[in-house]
Amino acid sequence: MSLAVEAVGVRKRYTGKDGDVEAVRGVDLAIPPGQVFGFLGPNGAGKSTMVRMLTTLMTLTAGTARVAGVDVAADPHGVRRKVGVALQEAGLDPRQTGRELLVLQARLFGLSRSDASVRAQELLELVELTDAADRRIKGYSGGMKRRLDLASALVNQPEVLFLDEPTTGLDPASRVTVWDEVRRINDQGTTVFLTTQYLEEADQLCDRLAIIDGGLIVREGSPAALKADLRTRTGLAAEPTLDDVFMDATGRRRDRVAGDVQEV
Amino acid sequence: MKESFVLGNRAIREALRAPDALIPTIFIPLFFLVVNVGQTARIFPSGGTPFLAGQNYAAFQLPSSLLLSASFGSAALYLVEEIEGGYFDKLRATPIPRMAIIAGRLYAELIKTVAIAAVMVLIALPFGIRIESGILGFLVLLVLVALWAVVFSGFMQLIAIKTRSAAATQGASLVFFPLLFLTPNFVPRNLLTRPMEVAATINPVTYIMEAVRSLILYGFDWPVLGLGFLVVVVAGALMLALSVRMINHYD
Repeated sequence: MSLAVEAVGVRKRYTGKDGDVEAVRGVDLAIPPGQVFGFLGPNGAGKSTMVRMLTTLMTLTAGTARVAGVDVAADPHGVRRKVGVALQEAGLDPRQTGRELLVLQARLFGLSRSDASVRAQELLELVELTDAADRRIKGYSGGMKRRLDLASALVNQPEVLFLDEPTTGLDPASRVTVWDEVRRINDQGTTVFLTTQYLEEADQLCDRLAIIDGGLIVREGSPAALKADLRTRTGLAAEPTLDDVFMDATGRRRDRVAGDVQEV
Repeated sequence: MKESFVLGNRAIREALRAPDALIPTIFIPLFFLVVNVGQTARIFPSGGTPFLAGQNYAAFQLPSSLLLSASFGSAALYLVEEIEGGYFDKLRATPIPRMAIIAGRLYAELIKTVAIAAVMVLIALPFGIRIESGILGFLVLLVLVALWAVVFSGFMQLIAIKTRSAAATQGASLVFFPLLFLTPNFVPRNLLTRPMEVAATINPVTYIMEAVRSLILYGFDWPVLGLGFLVVVVAGALMLALSVRMINHYD
């Protein structure tokens, strides 16, 4: 069986206001199907850039990447048919209703008008937005927008679902709702690639995770394995947390990361 | 193609939901028409002014107002809003030709401008303006004005995609001032001062304005009409080529 996500030597360089920036500096990933894979890192580490490259929203400067067995550079359309994407900002059209947005999204994935309506209704029920389905999105709360964004990423029943910081800015109750959705989606066989700054979120949801810092992967493994490794290496008396793993991996101290890493 | 219509229909639905955004595209051009005609009509009486072909001065001015109403570039403002809000990326992540995102908005602009231009002409008719080329000429006029709206919006969308900034896009839309006013909008080209005549001759909008005007004042003047359509087609082809290139290289 092919890997859900496979990246070899992926790099991204672009010219910003301050000159050349190398956001991703040679990342390798091998994610088997069916996992919830966490991609952690401080702000500006390269998480979103990596997601944008894997979802064909950004080109690779170097390296190769395959998602659901399809090469992102050679066949971007093929990749788009097989993945779902919910980016950092819930990218929604505020003038449409929730139902209209989902129907439109489904039609762009090739469904007929009637099939798109049926799929929209299924998704509205899945994310519990049936009551608000015919209201304009501009009146939705942050949590409702996130759930709708998640639903829109599922219209094509993706093999791999990319969620870029799906719970940032949500209240604790909405966050738990999104976690439940992610688990439910994963239980149905969808591989989930999740970026987050919330370490507890990664601990709760992820089978495996990678920590990226400065465009390079600095740790990779299951949460339990990463914690065990840290304990072995440092001889800690108590079980380390994922925060400790993160700070060890990124060379940050707790006071230094206070502004970078938020904990729930 | 199908995706362009799906996205275009969404854009039309949005426009209908924001009628306040449509009002300026009708009333500002009509305001200019009333003011310009009010200030200059006595200089150009219909009886003693050969270039009016027996009509009043409002008939001569109407093409300027029609082209002004088609030069608001609102499609680009909606597009840049979607770029800033993230919905543009959501659309780019679907398996559609990326050009469909732009083409959908242009299709909506075409439909919207046909409707607005028709309303403006219908408002103008009771004020003594008649379309010399008849019903068929009226339809050709709507097509030409709407195609200009598509071309102008298309160039504005290029700026939206390049800058990804609402402020920059809105600022760039002011280009319609020189485009519309360095034209024979008050008198025919041969009556302009030499520098203005040169500027108007270089300005492609002149030929569209003269084509629209010919339909209102003189009937089907094929060379003038042909030149107007040629300008729109060439500018449109350039705009589409640049759009395909830009959206396919958007990173």
